[in-house]
Amino acid sequence: MNFIIQAKDITKTYSKNGSITVKALQDVSVDIEKGEFTAIMGASGSGKSTLMNILGCLARPTSGEYFLDGENVNHLSDDDLAKIRNRKIGFVFQQFHLLPRTDALENVELPLLYSDRSDISKLAQQALEIVGLADRIHYQPAELSGGQQQRVAIARALVNNPEIILADEPTGNLDSRAGLEVISVFQRLHAEGKTVILVTHSPEIAEHADRIIRIRDGKITGDERVQSPLNAREELQNFPEETEVTP
Amino acid sequence: MKTFRLTTNAFKGLGKNKMRSFLMMLGIIIGIAMLSVILSITQGANKKIMVRINNFGPNAIMVHSGGGKMRGPSSVSEANLTQQDLHDISSLEGVKIVAPFQLEPGMPIKYQDQFTTTTVVGAMPNWAEAWRRGVSRGEFIQTDDVELLRKVCVIGETVKKELFANSNPIGKELLIGKVKFKIQGILQKRGAGPGGGDFDNLIVIPFSTASRRLMNQPKYIAMMRVIVDDPSHLKSISQQISRTLRSNHHLASDEEDDFRLRSSTQIVKMIKGVSNTLHIFLLLIAGISLVVGGIVIMNIMLISVSERKKEIGIRKAVGARSKDILLQFVLESLAITLTGGILGFIVGIFGVKIMEMISSTPAVISWETLALAFGFSFIVGIVFSVQPARKAARLDPVEALR
Repeated sequence: MNFIIQAKDITKTYSKNGSITVKALQDVSVDIEKGEFTAIMGASGSGKSTLMNILGCLARPTSGEYFLDGENVNHLSDDDLAKIRNRKIGFVFQQFHLLPRTDALENVELPLLYSDRSDISKLAQQALEIVGLADRIHYQPAELSGGQQQRVAIARALVNNPEIILADEPTGNLDSRAGLEVISVFQRLHAEGKTVILVTHSPEIAEHADRIIRIRDGKITGDERVQSPLNAREELQNFPEETEVTP
Repeated sequence: MKTFRLTTNAFKGLGKNKMRSFLMMLGIIIGIAMLSVILSITQGANKKIMVRINNFGPNAIMVHSGGGKMRGPSSVSEANLTQQDLHDISSLEGVKIVAPFQLEPGMPIKYQDQFTTTTVVGAMPNWAEAWRRGVSRGEFIQTDDVELLRKVCVIGETVKKELFANSNPIGKELLIGKVKFKIQGILQKRGAGPGGGDFDNLIVIPFSTASRRLMNQPKYIAMMRVIVDDPSHLKSISQQISRTLRSNHHLASDEEDDFRLRSSTQIVKMIKGVSNTLHIFLLLIAGISLVVGGIVIMNIMLISVSERKKEIGIRKAVGARSKDILLQFVLESLAITLTGGILGFIVGIFGVKIMEMISSTPAVISWETLALAFGFSFIVGIVFSVQPARKAARLDPVEALR
C-alpha cells in the first residue's frame, strides 16, 4: 500500500484558562492512500477541523505520530513544516481567505512567493486556467462571486503542484450550484491523480468522495467506501440553468 | 529572488493603502527634510569658513601689537613690535617668511574731487608673497621703493572703483592725508579678508614711507605676518613666537601678553563656536522628529498586525516561514521610511533653495546629505519595525486564521 498519510493515535488537547483541558481529538488513526478522494464528515465541534489542521501540518498533535509521504513530521521544526505546507499541501478554506485588494493572479502567486520557483506568473496563470478563470486574472476578490473566489482559492492551492489538497468546508459559504462547481473541480483533480481530503458536515457533499470517515466528539466513528460516488458534473447538467450573480 | 519578490511586494503594498502610507511617512518626511536643510546649511557655513581660512592662509600666523581680546588689526598708534622681535622671529626654525607692516584704518584719500577713506598698509616687498597676492596690473612695492622712502602706492579694487571708476589709475597721483602718492599698481582682487571685511578696500605703500613720512612711527612695527613651512607646526611655532616676544618685551610671568597671535585655527574656533551650538540644537530637533516618526510607524504597524492576522495566517498556511513574515513587515516599514526619506530630502532641497533666495544663506547640497538621509531612514525603518514584525511572525497560523 502506498499511503500518503499515516496518522497513528493522534490526540490533541487544548487547555482553557490553564486548568481545564479539552480533548479535541482522541487516539485518532487515519491512513489515506495516494490518489484517494476522502471526505471527513462530522458535526461542528466534532474535531474535524482540528484533524485537518494536523494533517495539513498547521498544528502539531499533543501525542501520536504522523507520517506524511513516509516522513515523520512530529519532530520537524516550524520552518520545515512551512516548507512541507508549501510543497506538499494545498489548502482551501470555507471563507476563501483571499488577500483583499490583491488581484486573482497575485493571490494565486502567493505560495510561489515562498518557493524557489521563478516563473511564478506563468504558473499562476495556468492554475487559474485549470479552474476556468483565465478571463478573470486581474479581478480583485471583491469583484468576484463567491464561487469564483473559491475557485481562485483552489487555483492557489494547486499552483505549487502539491500531493494533497485539503479543503475545509469549501462549499459552506456557497449556494448549491457554486458548491457543485467547486466539487466538480475537486473531482477532476482527483481524476488526474491528486489526493483530495474534504472536510464537511454535509452528507450530500461527502457522497462525492470515494471514502467517508465519520468523526464525532474527537473520535472516529466510521470509515466506509462509497460504492458509487455522485458526479458533480452530471448533477450540474441537470441543474436549472441560472446566471451567476456577482455581488 | 525570494527577497526581491518580497521587496517589490512591500513597495506595491504602499499603494494599496495610500492614506495610511502617507500618514506613516509624514514624520519621516519632516525629520529628513529638517535634517537635509540643516546639513546643507552647515556645509554651506563650513565652505564659507574654508574660504576664509584660505584667504587668511592656512599656514599663517598674524602678530598684532597690543594685548587684550581678539579684535581687528592693530594700527600704528599701538605698535610695540621691535626690529629685534622681527629678527628673532625670522630666525625661528620652520618660519618661512616674516612680513612686517604698518597699518592705519580709515585714512582720508583724495583724487581730484573724489574722496574716500581706506586702510593704508605700509609693507615690505615680501608682503606680496606672505599674502600670496601680487598686482593684477603695474608693479608691487619694490626694495628700492622701501630704501628710498618713495611715495608710491598700490591700490585695491574697491579704492580703484570708488576713485577712478573705469579709467586707468596707473601713473596718477592721489593724496593720502596730505601726502601725494603715485599709483604704480593694482592689487589682485581677493574679496573677503580674514576678519570677513572687504579685503580690496586698501592701499599699500612702502614700509619706510609709512613709518617715517605718513604715520610717524619710526621705531615700532604694528603687525607681522608669519608664514610657516608646515601648517601642522602652527601651534608649536605660535608658542615659540609668544615666548620670544614675552622675553624681548621683558614681561614678568604674571603679566599679560602685550601682543596677540592669530592663526587660522583660532579663526575657525571663533566662527564655529557660534554656529555649532545652533546646528547641534537643530539637529537634535530633527533627530527627535525622526524618533517620533519612527514611533508613529511602530504604533500603526502594531495595529495593522492585529488587523492583518488573517493575511498572516494565509501566508503561513501556504508556506511562509516566521522569518518570511518578519522580513515582510520589516521591508514594508523600510518601503515607507525610504520613500519618506526621499520625499523628505526633496522637500529639504526646496526648503534650502527658498532660504538661499530670501536670506542668501550659503548652502551646499551634497551627496553626503543624501546618503545620511537615506541612512537615517533605513535605521528608523529597521529599528521601529522589529517589534511589530516579531509580533506578526510569532502568530500561530491556526489562531490567525480563526
